[in-house]
Amino acid sequence: MRRCLIIEDDTENAQYVATGLRELGWLVTVCRDGVHAVGRAADGAWDLIILDRMLPNDIDGLSILKTLRSLGRRTPVVILSALAATDERVRGLKAGCDDYLTKPFAFSELAARIEAVLRRLQPGDSVREMHVADMKVDLIARSVERAGRLIALQPREFRLLAYLLLNQGRVVTRTMLLEAVWDYRFDPQTNVIDVHISRLRSKIDKDASVALIHTVRGVGYTLSPAGPTRELAG
Amino acid sequence: MSRAFARWWSSIAFRQALIFGALVVLTMTVLVVIFYVQTVGVWQRRIDGQIDTTTQRLVDYHETRGSAALANHINNLLGDGIDSDTEVYTLLGPDGHILAGNLAVADEITRPTPRISEQRVVRAGRVSRSRLRVTRLSDGSILIVGRDMQDQHELEHLIRGAILSGAMVTLLMAIFGAVLFRRQLERRIGAIRETATQIERGDLAQRVPISAQQDEFARLSRDINAMLDRIHALMEGVRHVSNTIAHNIRTPLSRVLARLYTAQSAADPAQSLPEAVGFAITEIQDVNVVFDKLLRIAEVEAGARRQTFTVVSLNAVAVNALELYDAVAEAKGLTLTHTLDAQPVVTGDGDLLANAVANLIDNAIKYTPSGGTIHVDTRCDGGRVTLTVRDNGRGIPAEERARVGARFYRLDRAVPGWGLGLASVLAIARLHGGSLQLADAEPGLIARLVLPAPGA
Repeated sequence: MRRCLIIEDDTENAQYVATGLRELGWLVTVCRDGVHAVGRAADGAWDLIILDRMLPNDIDGLSILKTLRSLGRRTPVVILSALAATDERVRGLKAGCDDYLTKPFAFSELAARIEAVLRRLQPGDSVREMHVADMKVDLIARSVERAGRLIALQPREFRLLAYLLLNQGRVVTRTMLLEAVWDYRFDPQTNVIDVHISRLRSKIDKDASVALIHTVRGVGYTLSPAGPTRELAG
Repeated sequence: MSRAFARWWSSIAFRQALIFGALVVLTMTVLVVIFYVQTVGVWQRRIDGQIDTTTQRLVDYHETRGSAALANHINNLLGDGIDSDTEVYTLLGPDGHILAGNLAVADEITRPTPRISEQRVVRAGRVSRSRLRVTRLSDGSILIVGRDMQDQHELEHLIRGAILSGAMVTLLMAIFGAVLFRRQLERRIGAIRETATQIERGDLAQRVPISAQQDEFARLSRDINAMLDRIHALMEGVRHVSNTIAHNIRTPLSRVLARLYTAQSAADPAQSLPEAVGFAITEIQDVNVVFDKLLRIAEVEAGARRQTFTVVSLNAVAVNALELYDAVAEAKGLTLTHTLDAQPVVTGDGDLLANAVANLIDNAIKYTPSGGTIHVDTRCDGGRVTLTVRDNGRGIPAEERARVGARFYRLDRAVPGWGLGLASVLAIARLHGGSLQLADAEPGLIARLVLPAPGA
């Protein structure tokens, strides 16, 4: 069972995240006190730490993170903070966090980002070819075949597909796609991503026996031969 | 006393005036001293010269004609009515007997001296001070030639008195001037301080009264007033924005509350609640978006991001945005085209520039009806780099263009949006030292993001 430590003083928020993670099968411990958080974070064998920035007694979560990193702990850390300015985010990433999410947030967004963070840490990703159902994708030659038929994709469409493919079976949100494919760290708010996905879908899934790209309502998209599962839908 | 003085001394006007007065007094004193020493000294030397000449003449006279003739001559000199008030002549025989002259002779003055000296003498029955030269003649008789200095001394005394009283008057004038000067300054500065106090108390409409004189204080007051006007205008702006923010956040919140209350009190809450919750989530997400956008604009306007400026290719930014919006444009039946200049680079923040360009294209797509065209081009000329988004949609009427860019200003409330897009483009353009220009494409809108080229 995967273990997660939540360092967050706001009971309501901590409860919201903890409940969500428990439903996804995590073993969750909540620490509401910044002073003891360093010890808890450094001692336990955590698979993930979720860290708030502004803690009681004027403790900045970043100091906890820095201490943890200076102790050599590589535990993945996702920061959840109301401090949304770009330089705050940059400070967080510099201090060694793996992702920085600003409050308020949807749990589905957090869950998707956690999966992406954990996946990034898994070694052995340098595969050349990937297969999903009857789709074959060559990541080096940048070619896509569906049921033996070659599909022509524009470069940006290929990057979109590749990102979905690398996160196969997991939900990716619109902001994650904007970040990964367009390097946009702001949300244009228009349904740009939806339109791109539907265009990609029309090329990949058209005339195919099994649909691969699925919409997870209110969250984002997932690429899977089986369709979105209950767990993925959050 | 010392306390009162300390209070006065703490006034810069008083201090300055007093120091200035003291300087004037000092200058005058030095001047007067020089004048006094010079005139009195010269006067004395002239008298001494006369005494010497006369002595020499009388000695010669005695050599050629003898004592009796000299005595006669002295009597003649004393009786000729010239300088008779001040001249002193006395001839004593070798036995000490007075042969001629106007001095009552005392022992101590009949000793010959090599120099002229000042002595107390009795002349014509009156005690006075005289400068005397005592000479022993060849036959042993003594010749005294001199000049009564009494008048001279009285004159000196008079001059000294006049100088002293003059100095006193000057000193008094200096102090009086200092007090007056202080009062005048106090009055002018007092007006400014009075205004400052009132503003501090919260009366922001107060201004410093400007006197008719066009002096330094009038100019200072005008500058202060201009500054206050600017602050007032900025605060009005802030008030306007906070009112609008309140409106934009309160309105959705009250809508959410209304919907939730209705759902709660409905006959069958289980049926109406899910829909109300969905509505609430959407509305609150919208509030969050508005908040986020406002904070971003504020962050840009604060200017801190200038510190992390790098060289950014505007073409790369444009291509990225074009490849993001091409699908939407296509779906809406719009033609999205572009022409890119060779290498338009700017010094800036890549994220923000991407945001600005995305906003411009987003706007064009929103306001151009199906079948329209949107053209994006970049060019660099004359130290400026320009990215233009041109559409053939409805455009913005000329009289409305100035208001575009104000937060929450929306041309058409039917088109979804928050009225923050162009406001953030404008803030980003300004952060980069550039501008946002809007023009008529007849029909449609030309939006130009003009940025300075690096090193320009």
